Amino acid sequence: MIDRILDLFFGPNPEFRQIVAVTLRMSLFSTLISTLLGVPLGVLIGANEFRAKPLVSRLVDTLMGIPPVVGGLVVFLLLSRSGPLGSLKLLYTVTAMVIAQVLLITPIITGMASNIVSIRAPSIRETCHGLGIPPGRRLWYTILECRVPFISIVLAGFGRAIAEVGAVQMVGGNIQFKTRTMTTAIMMQSNMGYFDLAVALGIVLLIISFTINSLVHFIQDMERRD
Amino acid sequence: MIEIADLRVVMADRTILDLPRLEIHAGRRYGLIGENGSGKTTLLRVLAGTLLPDAGNIRGLDPRTMGYLPQSPYVFSFNVLRNVVLALQESPTAEKDALAALEKVGMASFTRHRADRLSGGEAQRVALARLLAKAHQVLLLDEPSSATDIRGMDAIEQVLLDYWESNACTLVFSTHSPAQALRLAQEVIYLEDGQIVEMGSADELLRSPKHPKTRAFLNHWLIDQQINHSA
Repeated sequence: MIDRILDLFFGPNPEFRQIVAVTLRMSLFSTLISTLLGVPLGVLIGANEFRAKPLVSRLVDTLMGIPPVVGGLVVFLLLSRSGPLGSLKLLYTVTAMVIAQVLLITPIITGMASNIVSIRAPSIRETCHGLGIPPGRRLWYTILECRVPFISIVLAGFGRAIAEVGAVQMVGGNIQFKTRTMTTAIMMQSNMGYFDLAVALGIVLLIISFTINSLVHFIQDMERRD
Repeated sequence: MIEIADLRVVMADRTILDLPRLEIHAGRRYGLIGENGSGKTTLLRVLAGTLLPDAGNIRGLDPRTMGYLPQSPYVFSFNVLRNVVLALQESPTAEKDALAALEKVGMASFTRHRADRLSGGEAQRVALARLLAKAHQVLLLDEPSSATDIRGMDAIEQVLLDYWESNACTLVFSTHSPAQALRLAQEVIYLEDGQIVEMGSADELLRSPKHPKTRAFLNHWLIDQQINHSA
């Protein structure tokens, strides 16, 4: 079995490489879009006091815990032929998978960013107000002060994206050489009793997870030593 | 002159500040004393504009010429010099002014240190330098030397007196130390439960308080003073 796994890693198997490539492409794009949406939203919610803030925070918290299959179902219904966005013909494409992932990860990044910002924002706001620093620059300093936790949040989002299976399976369809990702492939292969590819992909997932965690620790250590 | 009328701040159904009338004269130094929760910080925050009162109005305070140091000022995770420069960004002489301010509070040798790694007392001095690097007409300070040792406290008091003299500004500060109030303030306001119990010249109020509540608050300090005096 080890031979066959090593062959998958270093041999000419096109499917293995294709699955890893699709997974990375989907995870990177969905994390990028979720970051562009989630971090500014989190900063806005965390740094400001407004009447509807408790309601908005509860809503974000609820969406943070949305089950992936429910997120997948929503996107599936939106993109299916009879759905409102059916004409775009996006179902069973990597784009559909990215949309589903964005729906799942954006609330997580928003909620975590908002929590981080709301811890620091009151003190920064009061200090900047006392110094006559205008609100725009106050917000910029708040973002700068949260830079390290933000990086950890984005990496956590990427970790979530790469490990997701339910929504991706629903809207991507696990199509060979098209939308098959590491997680959907592992599920299918192990269901079929073919464990070589499943174990090889599992190892890749673990390596990626280890790399992400190492990166988070490295950034935090650098910040501590700086 | 800053005029405060019918000011009221209520939090969780409790009135934490209730000032029917207070006049703060321009160019004078005011010390706010009182126990924890007496309303000193609330009054300073309302004056600074970081807390909106539930009722009342304040006249004669221009936010553009006011400087405020909160009780726990935030020091940014930049170096000390950049922390001070960020308050002066419109000024072409920002770096020079920042260095001069840091020199005054005894932090000039720390310019390249990261401010968020400093001790509480050092960070407080950086925060003070950041505020004093600019000229303000009104200076509001919430326990400006609470984290510093006795030597640091002396230095801060001298810096504040020098700043007050050269800028002819109004100084309002809170302190837990009647001795500091005596050294730094011309007028002292004693607050209890959000209300002014007694107000008067620092020397008079602190050495011979008239109100029994003020006497009770100052009791230990007055006894110490008498012992020191007779020794």
